[in-house]
Amino acid sequence: MNVTLETRALTKRFGGLVAVSQVDLVIPEKSIASVIGPNGAGKTTFFNCITGFYTPEEGDILFNGTSIVGFTPDRITTLGIARTYQNIRLFPNMSAFENILVGEHPRLKSTWPEAILHTGRQQREEAAALKEARRLLRFVGLTGLGDQLARNLPYGAQRRLEIARALGSSPKLLLLDEPTAGMNMQETAEMIHFIRMLPEEIGITVLLIEHDMRVVMSISDQISVLDYGEKIAEGSPVEIQRNPRVIEAYLGRGAASGLDNTEAEAA
Amino acid sequence: MRPTIRNAIISGIVFGLIVILMDLIGLFETLSDILAGFIFDKPTEQTLLASLVFILVLMGMWAGARGAQPLESSTRYKERLGALTAGFTTGLIVAVFVIIIGAINAQGIDMRKYLAQMSPDSIEFFLFGKPPLTAALIYILLFTAAGLAGGLVSLLLGRGRLSRGYEKLRTQLLTSWETTSLARRINQFTYTQQVVYGVLVVLALALPFTLGQYWNFTLGTVGIYVLMGLGINIVVGLAGLLDLGYVAFFAVGAYTVGLLTSPQQLSMFQISFWPAAILGIIIAAITGIILGIPVLRLRGDYLAIVTLGFGEIIRILIRSDLLSDYLGGPQGIRDISGPSLFGVSLTSDRAYMIMIILSILLAIFVTIRFQESRVGRSWIAMREDETVAQAMGINTYTSKLMAFAVGAAFAGLGGVLFASRNQYIGPEDANLLVSINVLAVVIVGGMGSIPGVFVGAFVLKGLPEILRQLQDYRILAFGALLVVFMIVRPEGLWPSKRRRLEMRETDLEEEADSPPIPPGTTPPVSEESLS
Repeated sequence: MNVTLETRALTKRFGGLVAVSQVDLVIPEKSIASVIGPNGAGKTTFFNCITGFYTPEEGDILFNGTSIVGFTPDRITTLGIARTYQNIRLFPNMSAFENILVGEHPRLKSTWPEAILHTGRQQREEAAALKEARRLLRFVGLTGLGDQLARNLPYGAQRRLEIARALGSSPKLLLLDEPTAGMNMQETAEMIHFIRMLPEEIGITVLLIEHDMRVVMSISDQISVLDYGEKIAEGSPVEIQRNPRVIEAYLGRGAASGLDNTEAEAA
Repeated sequence: MRPTIRNAIISGIVFGLIVILMDLIGLFETLSDILAGFIFDKPTEQTLLASLVFILVLMGMWAGARGAQPLESSTRYKERLGALTAGFTTGLIVAVFVIIIGAINAQGIDMRKYLAQMSPDSIEFFLFGKPPLTAALIYILLFTAAGLAGGLVSLLLGRGRLSRGYEKLRTQLLTSWETTSLARRINQFTYTQQVVYGVLVVLALALPFTLGQYWNFTLGTVGIYVLMGLGINIVVGLAGLLDLGYVAFFAVGAYTVGLLTSPQQLSMFQISFWPAAILGIIIAAITGIILGIPVLRLRGDYLAIVTLGFGEIIRILIRSDLLSDYLGGPQGIRDISGPSLFGVSLTSDRAYMIMIILSILLAIFVTIRFQESRVGRSWIAMREDETVAQAMGINTYTSKLMAFAVGAAFAGLGGVLFASRNQYIGPEDANLLVSINVLAVVIVGGMGSIPGVFVGAFVLKGLPEILRQLQDYRILAFGALLVVFMIVRPEGLWPSKRRRLEMRETDLEEEADSPPIPPGTTPPVSEESLS
């Protein structure tokens, strides 16, 4: 089993606040892993450490076996980690198509003199980039909306476009920050379907943050639970659903003890 | 009824105050003078008065149109009443003003001590040469009538129909052009496209030969602004880096060519125009990078303040006694030599006009090529959201430096042409107002839009040249225009349009070329969910 992403004792502090504390995580290749936890548990901070926006104080992040701690965000993206945002952050005044083209940026190699002179290499590369963008647009089901400005797209389409943009860089690891936030039931069902096929269809690993338990339980191979920055549990969806510490973190102590008893009785 | 009337009274007060302000600074006299001179050969007392009444009626109609602005649950009758009220209020306020200044004037007090434009003659003129009370009555009647007329006109035209009509016309023109078979053919076959562009270029280059010396010089000035507008369009319009010290790069280009070609300073280095021009552009670009490095981490307001300071530092350095042995201090550099080709001197206004047009064409070419490449896309992405742009793998450091360098190179080229054409460059050619003017060109025209730069440059540089008599009020007009534009058309006169990439390409390519939709992918969003 190849490991795509591994964090070792990852710790991020903001002044006195420990946002992420000693988190160990191992994500196998082509799996779907979820990070869950109550609000303020440090999930997004964890994402920001992986993508290079924050530099962790302690610990290590290994991507395909090499440490990426201290790298700039653009370098990490170039290595093969792409992400989406909790509150959609597309480039609002660019067309959907151009958004994807920007996503392809790290894969494109042509330089500015080539751009001015329109060298053969640059033109071939641009043509291939356009083709790839069209393919991705189709892949996320937005064919026909490519020339719309991103800000004019409906909400669900914006979420999908954000994923298409992230896929533009041909990542090996895709980080999704609450991909179904604000979606209705049908849109959520479509999104679950879409995420579930990603590892098989295009061979990438997915790590997601999600609040919607139905989503998490139905697509995750592995779930890690954060609470106050610490990892309090890890395992398959079934294991997590039964874990008393998780229930305590979500529902409070009383609920957990009540459940403990029933668990014990059942055992 | 109340909100309509309240709205109308407020409009009336505002317009009344505007009329008073315009009179206090003597704008009515100047405008009447221009208008009378424009329509009649020699302005006489009567024609001047007629012009004044005409301008006042226009103001009154505008006030009436504002007053007639329909609110919720308002009827046509109320709107007409609103127009009438707005006009009447304007007239009332101006009438009070007229009585006051008339009384002061009758006392023989000279107001020019406090307000330079308020000479007895000017007051007489504003009072139509009548006693104050009669004049006040005339003003009330005039504005009430004009207000009502304005209200009727605005109701006839429909609310905001004018601006929407303009927008509609523009889109119609563009779409009808895009859908014509000619345009399709042009878009499909690059050779036809090249021929059309070639014809346009030839036409542009033929322009200087049809113009006289004055117009070649005037349009040349506009052209230099277009060139600089294209440069700042890259920095501000595309990359979103608010640069208020843009004139510094212009100065660097101008002074480089000045120092290297003028016999006055540093004569040991004297070289001919062409290598000096190229050096000027390169040094300007390097200056752009040098400025770029320390401000890389700054965003928005902070960036604007630092670049503003940088522009001023350059100007003060040029002026300073410290460097006056080298840069000429406040005297500047004279006798800058012009270009020549095969022994033919190219220093006529026409020759410069041709060089300016060629430079603009080059700048447009470079801009378009950048826009259609990953470099240009990374600039726009940075403007839209710098953090996300970086997360998309864009190296924001090099991307910003690139934008600064290209923008500075355009400004440097503008400076080279400016200094060489005037055969002189001084520190005052590099003052802050130039930066602001160039920025205004881009804002008025439309950020990130190439045609917008032309529109903006003609509006802001061409019009004042044509209306030379307005010069005293140029700054005032500038400010007013900018404020109006920011309110009415924040996106500029000719906003940029995103290229249609998906549709055009799919038209040409075979649909079957792309792989099938993977199973489970959701179908395209239907029209319903769009609304």
